[in-house]
Amino acid sequence: MNAIEIRNLSKSFRGMYAVNGLKMRVPVGAIYGFIGENGSGKSTTEKLICGHLVPDGGEILLFGKPYTDAGVRAKIGALIENAGCFPSSSVYANLKMQALNLGLENPDEEIARVLKIVRMEDSANIKFKSCSLGMKQRIGIAMALLGEPALLILDEPINGLDTDGMRIMREILVDITKTYGCTVLISSHILGELEKIATHYGIIRQGRMVQELTAKEMESRARVFTSLKTADMQGAKAVLREKFPSVREEDGYLRVYDVDETENIVAHLLDNGHTVSEVKKNKIGLEEYYIELMSKKENEDYGKHAHVNV
Amino acid sequence: MENTRTLTFEEPSFAKRIKGMLGVDFYRLFHTPLFYIFLAIAAVIPAMILGMTSMENAEGVVEPLYTNTWQVIAAGEPLYAIKNIADYANMNMVFIFGGIMVSIFIGHDYKSGYVKQLFTTHAKKEDYMLSKTAIGAFSMVCMCITYLLGTIVAGLFVQASFKVRVGGLFCAILGKMLMSLGWASLYVFLNIIFRKYFGISIASSFFFGTGILIVGVAAAAGNTPMLNVFLYGSSVYACLSANLLSVAVCLGVSVAWAAIYNVLGTVILSKCDVY
Repeated sequence: MNAIEIRNLSKSFRGMYAVNGLKMRVPVGAIYGFIGENGSGKSTTEKLICGHLVPDGGEILLFGKPYTDAGVRAKIGALIENAGCFPSSSVYANLKMQALNLGLENPDEEIARVLKIVRMEDSANIKFKSCSLGMKQRIGIAMALLGEPALLILDEPINGLDTDGMRIMREILVDITKTYGCTVLISSHILGELEKIATHYGIIRQGRMVQELTAKEMESRARVFTSLKTADMQGAKAVLREKFPSVREEDGYLRVYDVDETENIVAHLLDNGHTVSEVKKNKIGLEEYYIELMSKKENEDYGKHAHVNV
Repeated sequence: MENTRTLTFEEPSFAKRIKGMLGVDFYRLFHTPLFYIFLAIAAVIPAMILGMTSMENAEGVVEPLYTNTWQVIAAGEPLYAIKNIADYANMNMVFIFGGIMVSIFIGHDYKSGYVKQLFTTHAKKEDYMLSKTAIGAFSMVCMCITYLLGTIVAGLFVQASFKVRVGGLFCAILGKMLMSLGWASLYVFLNIIFRKYFGISIASSFFFGTGILIVGVAAAAGNTPMLNVFLYGSSVYACLSANLLSVAVCLGVSVAWAAIYNVLGTVILSKCDVY
């Protein structure tokens, strides 16, 4: 079963489509990394799932039921744009209100539990407005975690955090999925961080799903390359091209793509009189994969556009 | 990393849903200074009315407009078209300040973003309308009580007369308290319409709370009981000459408008983007 299944979802604002025929599937138990540039429709999609926006068309199913089902919606936790807390109230008071809203039987126990998960046991009495950005994001997650939600929707929870804040947030997210087994939909620009936790990815562009893949598929599709440095980069490039067609000079390195034969590459250079000062084997990460996919899509769009113009 | 658990999705009953929403609103109400500030304002208004309203008579002598303490609660007769401030300034002022309070209360839901939490977990929009209407009505009833206490203290202070037909006074106060429900639903509705514009929400609540539209109609059409079908009309109808019929009219009008505004508000929230 899918935790989220979206079919042909559309939403426009003043005639401009923010989400346009979106299809999406988030399996139960997944940590779904939702990726896309600014204005691609990530937040709009999340708001549509949470019922904050009314779709123009399409269908949203949560755990096989319509997203308007009161039973399913009571089991969603969300952090969208901000924590949604009253600034003059304490962390405890904000959590207490959410616990009351959810009708929890033991609100104080629940509050203590979620504060422990987000590593803020000692901060219950601090006013929300006095908290740092990192703390506010964690409180937002604590709010979303109250009542043990089956689905957690997190919109850019890592944005604006420092390195330590990111590390804590990553640990929290891993904890949540490991311990409580809830499905997480998380959008982020910081793909390096997302790569460390996501089990599935969805890449959205201009309101449409470009690609959905699992972390394993992503791994298998990731291109390998060997980076190396020589004294004569141009000469070495020409020599390598004889045997390995995808050679590029990038970031001060020669990169030989799609060949997992570092020894052969180095041997070929040495045989042709080039010395190698540095060599390393790499794999394209999520970020590079995403950039490559986006530029491919842009080129396709440009091609279509050019064709229409002709 | 994937780890699933058995998932059950039980449809929460209406009672559970509304209890949750009311729980939040009452907790917030009792933990916000706003509520106590408005209770204090309601208590001070009668003193200001009694102490500061005076008018020059035909002989050029300045006399107080209110000679009886209970005039600050309600006018002697239902006067929709006002001749002077004494016909107008009474417990109905609570509905103006109550409107501002409800606007700020709901406005903070939106400003803080807390409304997202409410709408994420509550798929049924009527929960929000009902809860806010209930909290608004409760606040205004509390303000009516502090207004009454303020009136008594102010009356004693300026040594105004306390002579009154007790039954009429009781029915007037009860009638006005019942009207709180209708007024609260109007303010919640206005705040739903102008949910993205905090200032306009407050201004519109103030504008409608003054009853100026009905006062205007009454000035043109005269003192007709037909105006009792409106919230301001019924609020005026709850005067010192009120009886059980007046109370019944107030109850009927208040509940009817509350139902209308709640249905309209729910439709708007269901058909439009909420945040």
